[in-house]
Amino acid sequence: MIEIEVMHNIKIKEFVLKYGIPSLAVVIILIQLFFVNTQRLNKWKGGGYGMYTEIHYYYNQIHIPGMSVDSLLKNDLEMKNALGFLMLMPNKNNLNKAGELILKTTHKDSIHIQIWKPIVNSKTGFYSRELIDEVYLKNTDF
Amino acid sequence: MKYWADLKYKLRDPIALGTQLLLLLLGIYSLLMAEQNRRWKVPVLFIGLSAWILWQNKKKHPLIYIVLCLLLIIDLYHDYFWVGNHHYMLLFMVLSVIIYDYHKRNDVLLKNIQILFVVVILASGLQKLMSSQFMSGDFYYYMINRGTLFKNFVRFFPESLDVAKSNAKNMFELQAVDPNLGESITLKNIFPNLGAISHIFAWVTVIFEMIVAFAILWKPKSTGAHLLLILMILGILSTRFETGFMALLALSGLFLCNNTYLRLMYVLIITGCIVLIFTKLGYH
Repeated sequence: MIEIEVMHNIKIKEFVLKYGIPSLAVVIILIQLFFVNTQRLNKWKGGGYGMYTEIHYYYNQIHIPGMSVDSLLKNDLEMKNALGFLMLMPNKNNLNKAGELILKTTHKDSIHIQIWKPIVNSKTGFYSRELIDEVYLKNTDF
Repeated sequence: MKYWADLKYKLRDPIALGTQLLLLLLGIYSLLMAEQNRRWKVPVLFIGLSAWILWQNKKKHPLIYIVLCLLLIIDLYHDYFWVGNHHYMLLFMVLSVIIYDYHKRNDVLLKNIQILFVVVILASGLQKLMSSQFMSGDFYYYMINRGTLFKNFVRFFPESLDVAKSNAKNMFELQAVDPNLGESITLKNIFPNLGAISHIFAWVTVIFEMIVAFAILWKPKSTGAHLLLILMILGILSTRFETGFMALLALSGLFLCNNTYLRLMYVLIITGCIVLIFTKLGYH
């Protein structure tokens, strides 16, 4: 009995040594796929090896009617982080976070913030942009 | 002849050679990433460096590997969604080498490297299969017409380069227009039939990746599998200088390969990538 148990333990140790690290890689890939499919993470990032499978998030575009995004970003590290993260993972939650930060820094009453992505058709050469998501926020902090 | 004999002698032990090159790559990568999350790296580096200097002769633990590995983990923790995919692969390879220092079993290290390689390439292939923008050829079409893929070749065709530049300019100008107006542009092809070529190229990419992954899984030491892998690495490098990732793929190849000439080929590829990374001509 003890012999069988020892053999069993050796087998487990052998398996962990040989396949432990590759299994870790698989776990990271599964986490990335989860974020891609539920949180709109861009496939280029997150350790799922999805680089070069879709247009890079750098080309996503944040559009705020009546406001220049470039001037918002100027010398504002917190804003750069928030808007950068919105481009990387353009979901409702990140739209709200970015919107709230903009309301706070600009002291506006309300804001409409959109995130767009480029679309292309290789058969016709058509190139345009498609709305991913948008939010309207009101400043409640009077 | 002495030089050739020395070279052959050096190439005899791929694990020693591979870990040496991995350390070099890791050192340069850490240096290029040094400014990220400095607050956390400073204490780790200080403790690690002083321990390394003071107890250099006690080679019980692979101290440099462990310290640099900690730096990788710090960046991963703070910038999980920002670091490149090769950051993860580098970390897994470094972890494999660190535990190798304790178990000292070549077969375990090689199994780690082999299965990690297969997982990475299979994932990369499956991600492409799951992306409709990739499989339709739209992604390659966009990249090539923008001039961001095959950059080093396109410059030999001035007319194509001009078309790519004008496409990039038109896209940039469209960016300035309110997207709610729904305006569009038509891209001009830098080469004829680029739509069809992109579609075929997308399928060829995925099929080739899958073949390489299964070849290394099935026969990790065979010359045929490694010739395919070298071809894939050189092919990818010719589209873009993805030197950081390609150095890791070539390192995996070097660890697994049995053929002296192919080992030499891998060493030259890795060294080339390291030089390009070091001079910032390639991506790190």
